[in-house]
Amino acid sequence: MSAILEVRDLHTQFDTLDGVVRAVDGVSFDVARGETLGIVGESGCGKSVTALSILRLIPPETGRIAQGSIRFEGTELTALGEEEMKGLRGHRISMIFQEPMTSLNPVLTVGTQIAENVVRHMGVPWSAARERAREMLDLVRIADARRRLDEYPHQLSGGMRQRVMIAMALSCDPQVLIADEPTTALDVTIQAQILDLMIELKEKTGTAIVLITHDLGVVAETTERVVVMYAGRKVEEAPVEALFDNPLHPYTRGLMRAIPRLDVEADAAGTRPRLQEIPGLVPILTRPIVGCAFAARCELATDRCRATPPPFVDAGGGHTVACWEVTL
Amino acid sequence: MAVITDDLAPSPGRRFSLATAIRRNPTIAFGGVLLALLIVMAVFAPLFATHDPFKLSPVNRLRPPSERWWFGSDQFGRDVFSRTIYGARVSLIVGLSVAIISSVLGLALGLACGYFKRIDSIVMRIMDGLMAIPSILLAIALITLARPGLGIVIVAIIVPEVPRVVRVVRAVVLSIRGQPYIESAIAGGTKNLKLLLRHVLPNTLAPLIVQSTYVCASGMLIEASLSFLGAGVPLEVPSWGNIISQGKTFFQIAPWTILIPGAFLAVTVLAVNLLGDGLRDRLDPRLARRL
Amino acid sequence: MSAPVLQVDGLVKHFPILGGLLQRRVGEVRAVDGVSFAIAKGETLGLVGESGCGKSTIGKTVLKLIEPTAGRILLGGEDVTKLKPGAMWQHRRHIQTIFQDPYSSMNPRLAAGTIVGEPLENYGITRGGETSERVAQLFQRVGLRPDAMRKYAHEFSGGQRQRLGIAKALSVNPELIVADEPVSALDVSVQAQVLNLLIDLQEEYGLAYLFISHDLAVMRHISHRIAVMYLGRIVELATKRTLFTQPLHPYTEALLSAATAPDPRRRRTRKRIVQGDVPSPARPPPGCHFHTRCPYAIAECKVTAPPLIEVAPGHHVACLRRPVGGGPQPLSVSG
Repeated sequence: MSAILEVRDLHTQFDTLDGVVRAVDGVSFDVARGETLGIVGESGCGKSVTALSILRLIPPETGRIAQGSIRFEGTELTALGEEEMKGLRGHRISMIFQEPMTSLNPVLTVGTQIAENVVRHMGVPWSAARERAREMLDLVRIADARRRLDEYPHQLSGGMRQRVMIAMALSCDPQVLIADEPTTALDVTIQAQILDLMIELKEKTGTAIVLITHDLGVVAETTERVVVMYAGRKVEEAPVEALFDNPLHPYTRGLMRAIPRLDVEADAAGTRPRLQEIPGLVPILTRPIVGCAFAARCELATDRCRATPPPFVDAGGGHTVACWEVTL
Repeated sequence: MAVITDDLAPSPGRRFSLATAIRRNPTIAFGGVLLALLIVMAVFAPLFATHDPFKLSPVNRLRPPSERWWFGSDQFGRDVFSRTIYGARVSLIVGLSVAIISSVLGLALGLACGYFKRIDSIVMRIMDGLMAIPSILLAIALITLARPGLGIVIVAIIVPEVPRVVRVVRAVVLSIRGQPYIESAIAGGTKNLKLLLRHVLPNTLAPLIVQSTYVCASGMLIEASLSFLGAGVPLEVPSWGNIISQGKTFFQIAPWTILIPGAFLAVTVLAVNLLGDGLRDRLDPRLARRL
Repeated sequence: MSAPVLQVDGLVKHFPILGGLLQRRVGEVRAVDGVSFAIAKGETLGLVGESGCGKSTIGKTVLKLIEPTAGRILLGGEDVTKLKPGAMWQHRRHIQTIFQDPYSSMNPRLAAGTIVGEPLENYGITRGGETSERVAQLFQRVGLRPDAMRKYAHEFSGGQRQRLGIAKALSVNPELIVADEPVSALDVSVQAQVLNLLIDLQEEYGLAYLFISHDLAVMRHISHRIAVMYLGRIVELATKRTLFTQPLHPYTEALLSAATAPDPRRRRTRKRIVQGDVPSPARPPPGCHFHTRCPYAIAECKVTAPPLIEVAPGHHVACLRRPVGGGPQPLSVSG
């Protein structure tokens, strides 16, 4: 499988009053055609900034891509002008965000918003674009699509709005869909429906999905490959089964032990087992991190970990991990 | 005892430096310095003045600006420069006292309205009524009830300005009341008065300070307008409005009598507004966080 | 068995919907619609449900931050619904709260020590230097350095702020703590720290928790008994173990089937049992509120609201298709 999106050694930085924040600090990964890649990590790990960097949506007043390359279908995105990026965004690469209400224009009907996107990128007449919008609403299973075209975002429920966002994102047959916490604001039963829909549509349209989330459950249920990020760096990458069966990085292991589980039959007596904590806090990103970013919270850390950043070790089967102390 | 698991997020120590303060808040620095200069000028007016601002000198009527009369002279031969400097006193006194007194009154009423529902509807309807009358007309009406003087001018300007402060404070109080930290304090057994003084009041001060700068600027403009219309401070007092008003007859042959005090008024109002805009950007946590 | 710490009987809370030029009452949101439960000393009762189900409203009503429309709230055997604010003040000491958002539940202009010590001073339990000594102990107990007392809320991380909230709630030795989504704003690794702390404190002080959350996994971890809510009503109430192994209400079943689990193999075997959105609480469907999404609904469900019935000891369910002794066998789709 060929990679449609290649991110290499990406560094994205922001200027703040406290100094330069290295939000993304040397991240590399590939997205293959038609695959679902999960990027998982806690708040501040750089997963959303990675997405914004790919879309070139880093606000130029405060931030910049300082180094690295992002190639999409062979085109270097970091070298493109804003006009060319506008042609790509919403067309070849599209995105959905956490809060659908703020991503939709409140004064335009949903039909108009989807159709405008289609006209802008495909250059088809308005009537054809409207028809396309209706098709898309059908595709994301919004009942009574023709009537819904003329409704405004506030007339729709949260789940329905996220469906509209997905319809709009897919309306121009993108090669890559970047979804940043697409279900975090939704209720459990709605989240399940939206995740199922995304997977089903991916299989139907062949669009690759980059799913950014903090939720290991969502990652496990929807993705094929996973990148785990910590403090702006990638610490582990693996096919989803390998990652959950055999997490190698101490941080990934810590995360898996820290979540309360629904699927384990452990507490038959109704006792409450202690969750494993990861002690300490994430490092401050304005200070240069020497060595491994996780060393300060890691029980296996040695002097070498604190002095030199670990290289990626190949555990076989596409499973790589950046850790000095890992035993394969 | 629990193990201390968290290390405190270290707060980076920042040393205060004038250069960075100006770089970060150029509007506050610029407005503040300008205003400070004007205040110094007004306070030490006798030192700066080149002439006695009240002294009539019929031989030197309507002299253009020159070495002797920097800003020229008016139709009575009085030195426009000296009068303008003394005029700053009136404007600044009016502006500052209007700002301070309306803020205090507005804060009290706004807190009461935002906090006690029963008072709210009554007071706010009165405020709406006051705001429906053009402030100059309201001020003129109030002034006609009393003998002319600086005090009545200030009172006449405060009355239409107070509702603007009340509205801002009330809106802020209502939004603070919905904050979880207020519920948290109530749940912790905090009683009304303490809640108001400790949790609500301190969080209203930032928007109040910003609003008071706008009130200050607006107060100075109303004072100048009142003087221009002859309803302000007594004619013999050199206020910018009075100087402009008296110069208007001779505008075509002696434009300096109007332009110079007009320019001073504009610069003063600008300085106050810049200060207000800068403070708003600085004090609004939502804007500050974005930086 | 001793009297419950908290007993709620037939609690109703309707919020008016105002509309039109004159802000007349044009309708009402039935946020809580006849809810009853009790919490014993040292017990955690979980309230779980999706947004708009009324779980947070129950929390706030129990704290008397909002007034109930009807029903009784008994704290230590005394009905507090009719109490005047002054008399209620005495009761607040025994019932404290931890908020969801550690960012907005701290006054940004007060030092952390002042915030935590405020209830102590309000109730005159300690004064001056005594207060700071007690606050220092509380800081230690929840895992914060006592020298952090002088810092302001924004200088703490999310998890630390939640510890501050816990310290504040603990300060007056309450019997019950209402915790409204206390870990949902936290990262996974920090969430574990806070959940462990809550469990330790409960065991140490015999605290009762009313724990409100939308997260079933967190709920299962911390609760002893769980009440599942849907549109203002409790649809099922059971011990944790029963609820997760023998869910009887179709909505409980739906929630369990919709929850994601960190197991990539599970997705192939899962079947989702509900579709569609939660109806608006301003216009709840007649009869059983869940009938519009329920795969097992029959005609009767559209007209009759099912009462909450004890079908087995300690296991209550509100479903017409689950008669007494109905047992755990699966329902079938009919009609």
